Amino acid sequence: MPRRASRPVQIYLPIAEISVNIFLLLGLGGGIGFLSGLFGVGGGFLMTPILMFIGIPPTVAVSTQAPQIVASSFSGALAHWKRKTLDVKMGGLLLSGGVVGSFFGVQLFAYLRSLGQIDLFISLSYVGFLGVIGGLMFLESVRSILRARSGQPATAPRRRRRSWVEQLPVKMRFPSSGLYISIFPPIAIGFLVGVLAAIMGVGGGFVMVPAMIYILRMPTNVVVGTSLFQILFVTALTTVLQAGQNQTVDIVLAMLLITGGVVGAQFGARAGRHIKAEELRALLAFMVLAVCFKIGLDLVVTPSDLFVVTPVEPQGGP
Amino acid sequence: MLGALLLALSLQGQQTIIQTEAPSIVAALTHETVEIREDFVGQELVLYGATRGLTIQDEIVVVLRGPEYDLRVMRKERNFGIWVNSDPLVFADVPSYYAIATSLPLENIASDDELAESRIGLPSLFARQPVNMPLTSTAPDETPGFETAAPPAPADPDILPYLQAIARAGERQALYAEAQRGVEVLDGGLFRATISLPPLTPVGDYVADVYLFRAGRVVASRSAALRVEKAGLERFIFDFAQTLPWLYGLVCVMLAVLAGYIADVLFNRR
Repeated sequence: MPRRASRPVQIYLPIAEISVNIFLLLGLGGGIGFLSGLFGVGGGFLMTPILMFIGIPPTVAVSTQAPQIVASSFSGALAHWKRKTLDVKMGGLLLSGGVVGSFFGVQLFAYLRSLGQIDLFISLSYVGFLGVIGGLMFLESVRSILRARSGQPATAPRRRRRSWVEQLPVKMRFPSSGLYISIFPPIAIGFLVGVLAAIMGVGGGFVMVPAMIYILRMPTNVVVGTSLFQILFVTALTTVLQAGQNQTVDIVLAMLLITGGVVGAQFGARAGRHIKAEELRALLAFMVLAVCFKIGLDLVVTPSDLFVVTPVEPQGGP
Repeated sequence: MLGALLLALSLQGQQTIIQTEAPSIVAALTHETVEIREDFVGQELVLYGATRGLTIQDEIVVVLRGPEYDLRVMRKERNFGIWVNSDPLVFADVPSYYAIATSLPLENIASDDELAESRIGLPSLFARQPVNMPLTSTAPDETPGFETAAPPAPADPDILPYLQAIARAGERQALYAEAQRGVEVLDGGLFRATISLPPLTPVGDYVADVYLFRAGRVVASRSAALRVEKAGLERFIFDFAQTLPWLYGLVCVMLAVLAGYIADVLFNRR
């Protein structure tokens, strides 16, 4: 879509090879940053589809998300580190799975791109993951809101009987989280998040946080810090891999989104203090489901052009 | 007497036609290179030219062609309710940019066949066969969706929608443009054509061809070269990302961490 605006506000992105309004990018970063500060997630699941919508090539949108998440998760993890609400041991274990997942994801990304099916794959991943996670989160939060309204004391759902997770072998002690569990579930979750980071351009917080709470049953106060810690390293690795292998990281785009994002995140975090945790979760779930619905609709509705034209060479010629 | 006068006049008339110089055309662009910098939002190019022996029934056509690349076109098909890209065809050496400016609507200047011969106009761009290339190193017949049969002939009606899709995509991004009457003919055989490069202008070598048409045939032509390149910071970043991709990735990470740290220092002091 050709945009004609006055000169000074447009900036040409060297890797995306498109001219975009600076304030649009700063505002976008700020808006997503606000939401990520509010909900404690990276917001990549919102940012990537929006970047594609404004005309950034999908491959660049996905890859450029990674450095943006590095910046936001670094400042977030640092704050949790100072407050000692970060389980480094658990984070390291998640990370070991994440590193393998990230390598695997970048390869898968390159392969699917060569088949011409990357768009469909990204869309289907979004619909699948957002639908499941959003749905579960929505049900859970509505249940806790109803429970809080009816005046019953919040029964801690974490302290139920032994689950299948606790019966797996090779257990390890995690003092910060107060857990004694098998090392396999954290590695598997880390791997999944690493793959997601590479192919969906997301940090994976929206998968990791619920997985840590509901599958690993970690205490809520260390969940966010630990997830940020893992996301920081996985997205840093993804940045280097995407830049090294696919040359699709646009640093100018990333820095503009980061600048807007860090400011927005501060306001979001402040706004979040005035809302109850379960209501916040319900809101986030609602938003996740809305994005899922929109992407799902685009897959089903008859497109305006029934043909797709893409360059064979990875974009950015000599 | 009268007959002799008429004969003399007609002879003189013939003579003037013979005396007319052979038609020729020269042209130059206002820019030899177009630099894409951080504030690039497209650019207007002006092509100036002069003709010799321009008559009233002569017309001028200017064509600017961008660097060629290979395009893959896929048809969306509904599969289990969702739209899936299918039946890919690869078209080799399609111009990434193609603009035409003319002194009259193109269909009034020459026949389709004549235009196709000089490769003028969007339809003539695609008068070639698509190539089905295996895009992975695996055997082509294992790659789903790629036909191993011989590529279809250009006249194949199945190919036409693909070609139209390429044209539509180019027009959407203002990369394919046709400006009827985009060539202004001035006094004394001079002319001027304005061509605009859109924000998505591809980088590379361009060729501007100028044709002089007389009675539906090309009687003279001339080429001028143009180069579009990234410059300044844009060029530095792009070259860095291409030549030292791993280091570039590390620098991106460090910049991002630094930005995160600055944010922490600025906002979490209290």
